[in-house]
Amino acid sequence: MELEQILARLAEGARQVLQADAAMVRLLDEEDARLTVGAVSGLPAASWRQEPIAVEDSSLDEEALAGQPIIIADAGADCRVVGLPEGYRSVLCVPLMHENHPVGTLHVYATAPARFGEEDVALLMPLANLGAAAVVATRALTALEAMEASKAQFIRVATHELRSPVTVAQSLVRSVLKGYAGELTEKQTELLGRISRRLDFLENLINDLLALAAGKTPELAREEGPVVLNASIGRVMLLLQPRAEEKGLDVTFHPSHERLLVWGTEDGIDRIFVNLVSNAVKYTPSGGSVTISVRRVDGQAQVEVSDTGIGIPEEALPHLFEEFYRAPNAKAMEEVGTGLGLTIVKDLVERYGGCIEVESTVGQGTTFTVTFPLVDL
Amino acid sequence: MPKILVIEDDPDMVMALRIPLEANGYEVVSASSGKEGLQKVKEVEPDLIILDVMMETTTAGFQVSLQLRNPDPRSEYAAYRHIPILILTAIHTTTSLRFGPDEAYLPVDDFVDKPVDPDVLLEKVRTLIERSQKAS
Repeated sequence: MELEQILARLAEGARQVLQADAAMVRLLDEEDARLTVGAVSGLPAASWRQEPIAVEDSSLDEEALAGQPIIIADAGADCRVVGLPEGYRSVLCVPLMHENHPVGTLHVYATAPARFGEEDVALLMPLANLGAAAVVATRALTALEAMEASKAQFIRVATHELRSPVTVAQSLVRSVLKGYAGELTEKQTELLGRISRRLDFLENLINDLLALAAGKTPELAREEGPVVLNASIGRVMLLLQPRAEEKGLDVTFHPSHERLLVWGTEDGIDRIFVNLVSNAVKYTPSGGSVTISVRRVDGQAQVEVSDTGIGIPEEALPHLFEEFYRAPNAKAMEEVGTGLGLTIVKDLVERYGGCIEVESTVGQGTTFTVTFPLVDL
Repeated sequence: MPKILVIEDDPDMVMALRIPLEANGYEVVSASSGKEGLQKVKEVEPDLIILDVMMETTTAGFQVSLQLRNPDPRSEYAAYRHIPILILTAIHTTTSLRFGPDEAYLPVDDFVDKPVDPDVLLEKVRTLIERSQKAS
């Protein structure tokens, strides 16, 4: 519910509970210095447009904000009342407190004098406390939403601003490296090659960070739904097969016989297997093999990505899914890696209700097993 | 000598494209905004257009391709509708794995990924120009 609606109900509720003629909610601003009208009940619309008043200018509110309910029998004879609409004589003012912190005041008015007593305070306080809690919760939610939105905005800007210079630099270096700007010496080729690898690394890092951020930002996540597992891995194969073949790897995909549906977004499920399969390709020496199989196991969908690669040392296994972690033997290779790929994988797998396990023997190979709950349609 | 119009607002990127293209005998003309690009299409009558997506607005490139491929025979660009368009983008690889030209969404002939691999670029340029010359 919006803050305005909550305040309107609070004013309306207060007036009804005490069978009074009018009510008003005044809210403290962020500096606890000024009060603005948050809602009115039984009062003309003009009273809405009251200018904010400084807390010290209204001793009635000031006293109430200190935690003290105030009963005024005749407003005409009491100098504490400021900004009271015409024609009202009885005033009851209670604080809106949440966890000992004032958020505003609740005023109830009656035209008759001496209309309110202690029993009215007892009736009004629970409502005021509930109202204060609702105000605090709504403000917190609004702040959170604003933060999420600005995070999404930041990611969009970062995508363009951070990636652009890197991709431009890479494009320039590649043009020179391939000799289109004139012949290079061996030394120049080597140095430009080093620059190019550093840029590749930076680009991967930016992409991974953005993917990680995007996965955790609802605005950027596409709508989730059932995803056909075989189709997702088919797309991944299409993307990665050329690279594997170029490296002299034997890549085999065993799709499941039946159509298995899992919950997620196409992009998310694809990303999981792009990362796993490209790792397998990256860390398997030429002549090795990579096998991907999809099957139903115990009423769940299971995908196995196994390779005959360099393997993961036992001491590295517990850290494998940590951000920026790379196993020592992976780091020692010439391959570019950010240490974020598996963090993204785990993040996504768990997001879609699945789990991931890894088994590995150094020098023999690695098998990642991803299990997802099945979606029945 | 085939003429290529590069519509791209980043001068360094224009340079990265110009180097391999000119080394392979293409004449390169550049425009730094969608608006300037459309104007140059008429002036230069290029054999191929290389188009960036994000320029003065995030979709300026899309606007250019939509204008050029407007099926209305009275369109001021009707005479240039046959010119092959190669779009320069990182979008389809970073946000989605669905790749390849999509007539319904974006009327272009092919994509080149950023960062640009000059060999891939040259291959695509050669194929598209050959194909369009055969067609005409």
